[in-house]
Amino acid sequence: MVLQIKKACKNFGGLSALSDVSFSINRGEIFGLIGPNGAGKTTMFNLITSMFTPTSGEIIFNEDNINGLKPHLITKKGICRTFQNIRLFPQMTAEENVMVGEHCRSKSGVFSSVFRTKSQRKEEERIRSKANELLEFVGLGGFADIVSDSLAYGQQRRLEIARALASSPQLLLLDEPAAGMNETETSELFHLIKKIQEQGVTVLLIEHDMPLVMKLCDRIAVLNFGKKIAEGTPAEIQNNSDVIEAYLGSEEEDLYA
Amino acid sequence: MLAELINPYYLQVASFILINIILGVSIYITLSTGQLSLANAGFMGIGAYTSALLTLNFDLPIIVGILSGTLLAGLFGILIGIPTLRLQGVYLAIVTLGFGEVIRVIFVNWESMTKGAVGLSGIPHMGRELLNTLKEFGFDPKILGLQNNQFVFLAIFLILLGVTISIITFFRRQNRSRVGRAFAAIKLDEKAAESMGINITYYKVLAFAQGALVAGFAGALFAHVLAYISPADFAYHRAVEILIFAVFGGSEVIWGPVFGALFLTVMPEVLRFISEYRYMIYALIIIIMMAVRPQGLIDVNILNWLKLKASKRRQKHGTSNQKSM
Repeated sequence: MVLQIKKACKNFGGLSALSDVSFSINRGEIFGLIGPNGAGKTTMFNLITSMFTPTSGEIIFNEDNINGLKPHLITKKGICRTFQNIRLFPQMTAEENVMVGEHCRSKSGVFSSVFRTKSQRKEEERIRSKANELLEFVGLGGFADIVSDSLAYGQQRRLEIARALASSPQLLLLDEPAAGMNETETSELFHLIKKIQEQGVTVLLIEHDMPLVMKLCDRIAVLNFGKKIAEGTPAEIQNNSDVIEAYLGSEEEDLYA
Repeated sequence: MLAELINPYYLQVASFILINIILGVSIYITLSTGQLSLANAGFMGIGAYTSALLTLNFDLPIIVGILSGTLLAGLFGILIGIPTLRLQGVYLAIVTLGFGEVIRVIFVNWESMTKGAVGLSGIPHMGRELLNTLKEFGFDPKILGLQNNQFVFLAIFLILLGVTISIITFFRRQNRSRVGRAFAAIKLDEKAAESMGINITYYKVLAFAQGALVAGFAGALFAHVLAYISPADFAYHRAVEILIFAVFGGSEVIWGPVFGALFLTVMPEVLRFISEYRYMIYALIIIIMMAVRPQGLIDVNILNWLKLKASKRRQKHGTSNQKSM
């Protein structure tokens, strides 16, 4: 098991964003986290990446409790994420964005950088060539020198994935990667995520595009109002009455509506 | 021939330009992580007073004084940098401005040590000390056809020029490395930078301390070039002046504050009649720049345009494969 969430709770003041959510992700699988808007999916991402600390509960990554660890150390341990609303470094080129992603896998400091020591130049060379490989991998081969701000929307999404992959994660968190994409882009994204899985990276995916989620995921957990209402394979989830109710509303509610 | 060209007055102005360029670089470094610090006048004062007092009271060599002043300023940078980590934008500016004032007030009131508002005079002069040392080895500026005075100012100018070029080279190299990318990432999006595995606490304090070190260094040089310092040299006016270098020249690239410092130091000297109104002009510059060109005169686009022009010209002259800049 790569990741285990044990009874995670998160309250914001009196509001309970997540309560008693537990699930675990096996190595190498694509795990989907779905649910209506405001169900607490992104909050869960923020707990896993330690942007927030859980009110109670435990988050176990590779047998280590990672509660309360600083976000940059989480990345170093091997968890990296993308953002729902793209957060690239706008004035940097695509290549530089990915190179930033390799920060925690490199170590040159001030003095080796200023005196351009042999190991620093080698490392810089390695970072740059890996960045270009990753750009190639996500299909942005010719865009290394383009400022990320002027890339098309779908390209920015893929660049964010490349940047996250640059930190060599074991677990990749994707927050609505298909949001705002057209059908062609979505199908490209499908193949990209499959390719990432083939590289041995475990993927945790938040997504609203149900056809994509059902095709892509090995297992799925469903959140509603901060609680887990179902977990299982895509087929099980599709036939789960609680899930259908959460997404479509129950018949009784419809009567009174 | 050479001797006639060397005018001590011009050299002195040039030396102040160089010190101001170093100060401009100091604010640029902290700004390159998105932190606006107005404490650099205070750090400059710490560097200047430390070095002056050590050389005056303990007869230490100037170089030891300068290094101690620089390090102490850097230490204060770390001490201020850590508690202000959570502050951003205008709040950080206010706190750091307050810190600068506290430092100035300490200089004014710690009379037993700093002689208060009167200031310290008779600080060993970098150029003269150098000349005296060289004379012990039997050197005479007349060998170069220079008078003592000319030699002194020329020596200061050359030392400062070397120092300034080294500092700029240092930070240009740092910028184009892992450290520089971390700085830029923090400036552009702190949360995203943190998620990409960058230890933002470390890099923000590092930038703050580097800014303080460089400002303290400039202050120590200032003390030994002018041979006289008083608390007024490191007051609010100085903080604003350093800020203007970055606002006017720009803070996206290191050449911005360098150009700002150069232009704004030369201007009052060339246009003598406006030097009385310089603070009014500074205010105008801030307002106009904020309205018209908030990134400052020199930004990445301007630099690229200049590089393009330079390379075109070179192509015309047929030496096209020289590396630019």
